[in-house]
Amino acid sequence: MTQPRRNWIPLVAFCAVLVTGGVEAWAETVYVQAKTAQLRLGKTSLDAVVGNVKYGDALEVVGRDGSWVEVKTATGAKGWIFSNKTSSTKPSGTNDALARLGQSMRGGDASATTASAGARGLDKASEGYADRTGVSARDREAVDRMTAYQIADQEVEEFLREGGLGEYAK
Amino acid sequence: MRNNHVVTASLLALSLTVAGCAEVQRAGEDLARQSGNPRLAGAIHGVGNVVGSLFPIGYEEESSIGQAMALQVVARYGGVVDQPELVRYVNLVARAVANTSDRPDIPYRVAILEHESINAFAAPAGYIFVTRGLLKQVRNEAELAAVLGHEIAHVSQKHILDIIQRSKRLAGVTEAGLSYATSNPAAFKNVIDGAVKKLLDEGLDQGKEMEADTIGEVFAARVGYDPEAYVGLLTRLRELKGDDRALFKTHPNFTARIEAVQKTIQGKHLISTGVILQERFSRMTKRV
Repeated sequence: MTQPRRNWIPLVAFCAVLVTGGVEAWAETVYVQAKTAQLRLGKTSLDAVVGNVKYGDALEVVGRDGSWVEVKTATGAKGWIFSNKTSSTKPSGTNDALARLGQSMRGGDASATTASAGARGLDKASEGYADRTGVSARDREAVDRMTAYQIADQEVEEFLREGGLGEYAK
Repeated sequence: MRNNHVVTASLLALSLTVAGCAEVQRAGEDLARQSGNPRLAGAIHGVGNVVGSLFPIGYEEESSIGQAMALQVVARYGGVVDQPELVRYVNLVARAVANTSDRPDIPYRVAILEHESINAFAAPAGYIFVTRGLLKQVRNEAELAAVLGHEIAHVSQKHILDIIQRSKRLAGVTEAGLSYATSNPAAFKNVIDGAVKKLLDEGLDQGKEMEADTIGEVFAARVGYDPEAYVGLLTRLRELKGDDRALFKTHPNFTARIEAVQKTIQGKHLISTGVILQERFSRMTKRV
């Protein structure tokens, strides 16, 4: 008489797996839609930072409250993120792999035409262009300074805080 | 017999080139050249360029285009304003908006052009310009954020790069691939001159301008700036300049833009936050 009851055990276990697996599969995902963002212990900008995420990171939604979303990262870290720094759609990216392939097929020498962010000096292509079009030394210097111009992320964060913007809204 | 093998191998390289294998393309070129068949090597090289020109322009090439265009913008608009505090403030607003844009992973930098006209421009790779004349018309930080949001949207949507890519395809350009900037400076100059003409003289098409208004408005609102601020600025500019078609070679008229922005505010449910930061703006721009 006990045999038939035992037959139910695998079935119940299978259903349990289905249900929990189903919940996992249907969990809502959002993506970081900001250069960087902070995960906080609570849902205010005054709460302690418990982690940092970057553009494009996938986050599992655990809960929502007003302008804040409670999320879990791929490594299991949990925290609250300001909702305007997330998107329900995955950022499209910059097609870098395709672009690199295209550049290599066009036979380009990247180092010759690259000005890395913050690097000082016009790149060779621009320098050549400036020579051919007679751009003055003063204007070259202006673009040179512009290219090198940098503002630290912390300064931007402080600027937002001062203005009561983003997650620092009053 | 050996020559037949070379031709077969080279044809294989040619077809793989079309399929997108850059290394095989180069090996095929070398093989054909070493076997005394420079015409075949040239053909493989040419197909590589054509196929390569169909791929998107990467950031490295974009950076070269943006920097060269920036040189021309600065030269034609009489140089840039040298007021470090003011420049820093405008850049902070731009960075705040760009950080929540659809393309926050590239550097954005803003220069103020020493010019009294009311204008703003964006060249690829995040080179953004506003004129001193425009800054004089702006009344608060939320309006400035909307203007910068519009320019950041041109960069994030790669509007100028699309035009360059399309013109290259239409012209069947091969050797003028931008990576040849140093080896073929004349071709590079043609590409840049064409793009600058489009940016400063002819204007992008009106659809792209409307798109930049819509997307830029969303970027600024994400930071928390009041979305109604842009409507205020556009309305004042309409009063100043009117809706005369002759003035709008480069942009749709103000009435159409105001309507589109209002539609965006409603359609995207952008909340009026009341955050315009007029006091900070006045303090930081008092020497404009």
